[in-house]
Amino acid sequence: MTKRGDHLCSHCLLPIGLRAMQRTVNGEECAFCCYGCCIAFLVKHGQSEEWEAARLLIRLGVGAFLTMNIMLISLLLYAGTFSGADAWLVPWIHLLLWIFATPALVILGEPYLRETWTQAAQGRVTSSALVVLGVGAAYAYSIFATIERSEQVYFDTATMVLMLFTIGSYIEAAGRAKAARDLEPLLAAESECATVVDEGSETRRPVRDIGAGMLVRVRPGERVPVDGVVLEGLSHTDEAVITGESRQVAKRVGSAVIAGSINLDGPLLIQSSGAGSATRWAQICRSVRDALSRRSPIQRIADRVVGVSVPFVLILGGLTVAYWAQLMPFDQALLVGLAVLVVACPCAVGLAAPLATSLGIGRLARCGCLVRDPGTLEALARTRLLAFDKTGTLTSGRSRIVGIESDGAGTDEVLARAAGLERHSEHGLAHAITMAAAARGLEPVVTSDVRAVPGRGILGNADGQSMAAGNSALMSDLGWWLAPALRERARSLEASGHSVIYVGWAGRVHAVLSLDDTPLPEAHSTIEELRSLGLHVTLLTGDLAPAARRVAAVVGIEDMQACLSPEAKRAALDQYRQSYEVVAMVGDGLNDGPVLADADVGIAVGSATDLARETASLVLPPGGLWMLPWVIAVASMVRKTILTNLMWAFGYNLVALTLAVLGLLQPVLAAAVMASSSLLLVVNSLRLSRLPDPAPSALPGRLPSAEPDSVRRALGVPVMSGPAIERG
Amino acid sequence: MTYYLVIFAAGFAGSFHCRGMCGGFACALGRDPRGRTATVERHLLYNVGRLTTYCFLGAVAGALGEVLCTSQGLKIPVLNGPLDTAQRFLAIAAGLLMIVMALQFFGLLQGFHRVAVGFGGSTLAASLRNLLKSESPAAPIAFGVFNGFLPCPLVYAFAAQAASTAAPLPGVLIMLAFGLGTFPAMLMMGGVGQVLTPVWRQRGVWLAGSFILLLGLITLGRGVLPFAAHVGHAWATGPGG
Repeated sequence: MTKRGDHLCSHCLLPIGLRAMQRTVNGEECAFCCYGCCIAFLVKHGQSEEWEAARLLIRLGVGAFLTMNIMLISLLLYAGTFSGADAWLVPWIHLLLWIFATPALVILGEPYLRETWTQAAQGRVTSSALVVLGVGAAYAYSIFATIERSEQVYFDTATMVLMLFTIGSYIEAAGRAKAARDLEPLLAAESECATVVDEGSETRRPVRDIGAGMLVRVRPGERVPVDGVVLEGLSHTDEAVITGESRQVAKRVGSAVIAGSINLDGPLLIQSSGAGSATRWAQICRSVRDALSRRSPIQRIADRVVGVSVPFVLILGGLTVAYWAQLMPFDQALLVGLAVLVVACPCAVGLAAPLATSLGIGRLARCGCLVRDPGTLEALARTRLLAFDKTGTLTSGRSRIVGIESDGAGTDEVLARAAGLERHSEHGLAHAITMAAAARGLEPVVTSDVRAVPGRGILGNADGQSMAAGNSALMSDLGWWLAPALRERARSLEASGHSVIYVGWAGRVHAVLSLDDTPLPEAHSTIEELRSLGLHVTLLTGDLAPAARRVAAVVGIEDMQACLSPEAKRAALDQYRQSYEVVAMVGDGLNDGPVLADADVGIAVGSATDLARETASLVLPPGGLWMLPWVIAVASMVRKTILTNLMWAFGYNLVALTLAVLGLLQPVLAAAVMASSSLLLVVNSLRLSRLPDPAPSALPGRLPSAEPDSVRRALGVPVMSGPAIERG
Repeated sequence: MTYYLVIFAAGFAGSFHCRGMCGGFACALGRDPRGRTATVERHLLYNVGRLTTYCFLGAVAGALGEVLCTSQGLKIPVLNGPLDTAQRFLAIAAGLLMIVMALQFFGLLQGFHRVAVGFGGSTLAASLRNLLKSESPAAPIAFGVFNGFLPCPLVYAFAAQAASTAAPLPGVLIMLAFGLGTFPAMLMMGGVGQVLTPVWRQRGVWLAGSFILLLGLITLGRGVLPFAAHVGHAWATGPGG
């Protein structure tokens, strides 16, 4: 088994394509996407006793030794050092060059030859075939020229081209690894080690071996390996990977810590609360690994272009030689052909997309946003319409009391009695009532004999009176009296999409509580920002029209459709797709799975389900709606980078190819040009790693970031606001 | 000939400066368990590898200088000297570079030193350690080749000198002379380890600095002074001079 899965290069973390290479490094099987990565990895990680690493370096060194000698002598030859009286030396010098060039070619060309051979055996022609053919031709001609004692040999060109290709791919691979170093912690999560404290002794164990209840020590600067509770220590952590916000959260004894967050200043002793491999952090890392090994549509096109271009270039090279051979000596025509083969090596085109998408996926993952595959980013960048689900997406998804209509009882009494009953219930609405009572500092009335009536409500006894809280059916079952005004009010509230709870005691309904889902505080500014990015925003909900209209008005969405079944939502999306082409759907990932799956980009906010089983292709962290504009900005940046990369790669290749065909480019120069074109893409893609973090502070209505942890959590549950309750 | 002897001497004196980096490698290459002959062979191979890199750099620098000069091809008719404008500029640039290098041998311009040596050196040096322990007979030669590319102010100085000659052959010869100059010290360090006291090492460094300063001034003079051009050029190109 390879360390990072079978599909990613051990060095630069890009998906391994057709040009895979296998090596054993430090006793571990490693796979590389190209020869350059293989060299760079061995140079960086190979241990001195490692035979493979040393062997590669020795080969490169000896190859360089021979190449440099050839180049040195050739330079002297070109400079006319051996002219005049020394001219008799020239054939012997050619022979010497031949003697140097043969082992150099074997040493430096072997990886290219081997690749060409294995690919050819599978019926494919790759770019290394171009190098092998070109260099081989130059070498074969030079042997011929040496034997014939002609004036010009090209051993220097043959070896230099190979040397430059090798060095170029090494430098490019090193640059790529630099670009991918942000991905490293994401991919290493499960093989990472944690310090486990067991009866006073500390051992390093892999994170996946950690179970619930184990004690783990986390030093400052380390990543918290498991979810858990602080037993000892005082520190701050950065939970950006889970919440998306990069800020310091204070941790003291008893605070919960999340796997993946970074311990900033003090050592912590943590008691693990679950298995190390079951944390959201581990899940993020798994999904990143999956996403990185997939291919995007652009990538598939690029790969196809590369596949087609190799035979095309071979033909072009042949034609070039044939054409120039009529105008100049054959050896020079051959040289022009070699330049064509070397410069048209389409390595850069194949590199354009994966590097940019990998960086984008890594960038998002570090803020807790998971992407299913690289294609998602491309689709998101082209999205022109965003459809939102209401409940749990734009709203908190948890009801709170927005009004109390009472008949012959005080608001506080109603709440205290209702809370006395409902605190025995697990129902979502019950929770809203007890929270509202607690928020107003009310003591719930002590209630006995509590029993739930399924589908109806809850019954009990307090102060010798029977009590009930539930729907209208419960009240009519009990036969309790309901004032006509209250009945009317309740009916109109229900019609407008509110949830309604009747509260009664002593044979009479005393009050009607109306509950509603409230829009998230950040929803309005997020929608506004999305609109400023030029996106059309719409609301598709299964709820009643009045409720949908209320939320739409608060968050600032003009276009909305209510009362939609999941099928109707899909139909609506199809409708939108006709005018907006690429549409995205934002939901909570629970009720709207089929719709998310049907959209071009399904975005789930705060979904806790495993991404592997997730229907959405992009998952934002819980409470991460505010990050959506940033995510879209990253996606557009990735797409822009891919397009500029492709433009560079194609443009560069076309210009260089034209020059080469016209005979204006020396083969050695062509090899140097080729190496630098890939480097250019790496540099261009590196700009992605400098993208700014998402900035919640820029959004009005967000909590100030200095808020302590405990307050934040308390605010996370709905609290009834003062004015709403006074309406009663 | 004097010219190359000066460079040889500069290389010899300067090689005591090398003890820090290259000398360390030479020591690390150590003795061959198979005996004295094998050890000598090992170190000779290492030094040949290093010398090849130097000569290659010299040839490339000289060829580059030649390309620069012939592509310009602007003669100054008034002076009617043997040097054209481009070669003069090359001489001035190389001379200045050598003077800067020389000054840092005297402990001046340390910031520049950091820039010169820091660039890429650490990665290369780190990867080189892989080769040190290899048993392969080819390892020392590969090691020497890479070692030659390690950033080193001495090499820069003489590569600049090589470029100013504007031809591959003198470029190669300059680097050859310099490289051969470093041979004795490197072989010594490889075989015997620490032999020189810090005081002597410091004196060697100063001596090397003086040589390089002298060469730099002459090169600069070739570019700047019209009357010296002929002398300097004759000195540089005349193998018997």
